[in-house]
Amino acid sequence: MSKKKQAAGTNLLYQLIAEARAYDDVIVMGRGDPDFDTPAHIVAAAKQAMIHHQDDVAPPAGLPALREAIAARVKRVNNIDVDPASEVVVTNGGQEALFLMVLAALGEGDELIVPEPNYNTYADSLAFAGGVKVAVQTAHEEDFRADPALVQAAITDRTRALLLVSPNNPAANVISPADMRALVNIAIEHDLMILADDIYDLFVYDNFVHTSPASLPGGKERSLTLNALSKAYSMTGWRCGWIVGPADLMARVAELKAAISGGTSIIAQHAGIAALTGPQDAVNMMAAAYARRRRLVLDALDEMGMQYGVPQGGQFVFANIAFTGMDSAEVAQRILSEQHVLAYPGSAFSKERKDYLRMTFLQPEEQLVEGLRRMKLAMASI
Amino acid sequence: MASQTKANILARHAANAALNIPLPGISMRGVRDLGADEPFHPLDERIIAGAVEALESGQTHYVDVPGIAPLREAIAKYLNASCGASWQSANIIVTAGMQEARFLTSQIIGAQYDSIAVPAVAHPGLQKALGLRRRQVLSLPVEAERGYLPSLDDIAAALKNGCRLLYLESPSRLSGAVYTQSQVARIADLLAQHDAAAIWDQGLARWVDGGCNSLAARAEESTAAIGEAWHGIGLGSWLVGSIAAPVDWIAPMQSQKQIMAICTSTASQYAALAASEIVSETHQQRLAQMRGQRAAAVKLASELGLDTLPGAANNLLALHADEAARRKLAEAGIDFAAGEDFGAPDIVRLNIGVATNAAIEALG
Repeated sequence: MSKKKQAAGTNLLYQLIAEARAYDDVIVMGRGDPDFDTPAHIVAAAKQAMIHHQDDVAPPAGLPALREAIAARVKRVNNIDVDPASEVVVTNGGQEALFLMVLAALGEGDELIVPEPNYNTYADSLAFAGGVKVAVQTAHEEDFRADPALVQAAITDRTRALLLVSPNNPAANVISPADMRALVNIAIEHDLMILADDIYDLFVYDNFVHTSPASLPGGKERSLTLNALSKAYSMTGWRCGWIVGPADLMARVAELKAAISGGTSIIAQHAGIAALTGPQDAVNMMAAAYARRRRLVLDALDEMGMQYGVPQGGQFVFANIAFTGMDSAEVAQRILSEQHVLAYPGSAFSKERKDYLRMTFLQPEEQLVEGLRRMKLAMASI
Repeated sequence: MASQTKANILARHAANAALNIPLPGISMRGVRDLGADEPFHPLDERIIAGAVEALESGQTHYVDVPGIAPLREAIAKYLNASCGASWQSANIIVTAGMQEARFLTSQIIGAQYDSIAVPAVAHPGLQKALGLRRRQVLSLPVEAERGYLPSLDDIAAALKNGCRLLYLESPSRLSGAVYTQSQVARIADLLAQHDAAAIWDQGLARWVDGGCNSLAARAEESTAAIGEAWHGIGLGSWLVGSIAAPVDWIAPMQSQKQIMAICTSTASQYAALAASEIVSETHQQRLAQMRGQRAAAVKLASELGLDTLPGAANNLLALHADEAARRKLAEAGIDFAAGEDFGAPDIVRLNIGVATNAAIEALG
């Protein structure tokens, strides 16, 4: 059936996740799921909503109060002005936002330019829409920078949109303000849409700066920008995210949302209101923890002599394992079987990235240190 | 300068009429909202407690794509007990509500077949789901007198003409009409005869006296049964639905669910799990109350000369209502589901509740 090609990477990850479950002492450095639980005040708000908001109705676009909170958030963090009534749609997490964004902008035969490596679900969603992925390769030696000149060179008369994920998953590159300006200008010059994924925008390290394309002149009217509560508030299980964009396109996004899921759980939405409007201490605490852990991981990779793109943001590192002479799926399998550490093979993200592993730093430091110790053993035995 | 690319995107969407069909609300907004898909019902405090306990104990992370294991097991157990199926957990996917179940089944099971036959009158969510990706859709004729259920002859004709996938509602989402046991048995025979399959929406079966005549009980290996978990228990806006299907259909739907949502909200799943323990506890009492209210509404409608449609689901009543009658409903401040959104102009669907008689009086 037609799903065969779209789920290859996803199925590889399923197999590894299933095997990892069999090990009591497994250390998971694969899935992008923060180890922190959702902050208590958000859970408490959800409980109150269960008692007091039982008859709230969830319109496909989301609760008005949450849309207001999202509009305030994207103004505060991303410098994007949106009308909460017409330019925000709430989604079942960032994943549904991603799917909707691709479905909204791309149709049969339309080309999407995708700096590679990238999150495998973009390719899967594009396959559903009938679109065509045009990859622009990046290199770990350049910290996976997407060169605007290469993006420009990839444009054809079928190109309809650019995908700009910053910080990127899995490569953790942050698009610099200058490159973002150049990319937005390319989109304007060639009349392309921009699909922007800002889900890691609160996790940027060193002196790197996150820039949303929709915040730049000429960017907003051609951008759909997604985000979610999953990573920033450790709310992966709640499934609450959003897309913002120009009203005419967002009306279409709302129709698509109604068609695929009808709405978003009101309890997740009330939790979302609490997350966005309540204290932000937990986000700052988590960001500081990820910065420390990132350092631990990079030091360990240096000790192993592994090359990588320095993660400028996000919650993971994409490391090169070409020196092993093995495919990343084999390496990931061996690390899992021998040392009970789950890292994701690069081939799950792109067939061009069989020489890479993605490792997250979403574990308590003690576990992370142990995972890295085991990883060293595994790599030494290869 | 205006974007031609954006204009083309907007034109493409505008041309897709299915996407523009309005959906009824998911849950009632108040007693005079009789148009939503689910009646309002206060949540049992044990459901809230179950959800809160899970969240407070850290169940706030991603869970398995097809759903948490105990909920899948509970849904399988419920379906087996109520419908005579023999599903296992591996046959179940928990969905983010009924619409996601419609979408996943019609699109992903649908992708295995050249065409899909659907009733000309069905929940508008089906047309929306099918409209997302071009496929050959065969419309099965329906009549108001049969509660908009396609006839067995028309189903047989569709299968004879080469269509190998059916989408059927029983009860009908508009009228509440159901296929009888013998009709369900005949549909199962037709599926076997033509090596065909069916997506069977039985979400409203809880409201039918005598329970569920499920196609899954007779054609389990060729049926995907979908519905809410559980309709009318108060979790409408929490969006929990389910698909029960043969295991080889589950895998591709699970892949698609991963692509479009990763998993269903844990808060909703744990609430549904708590609900599974009490789902049958007071149901007979509620069903009896609904039956009484519906019978009174039908009687009143008859006295006022209104034309009601046949239906077996006690949670709703469909009536003929022209434009003038609808204006009266609107003037009375009563919301209803418009039949034209289902494909049946001049019909309104009313939920059974405390305001149903007021609605009928307004129509009369």
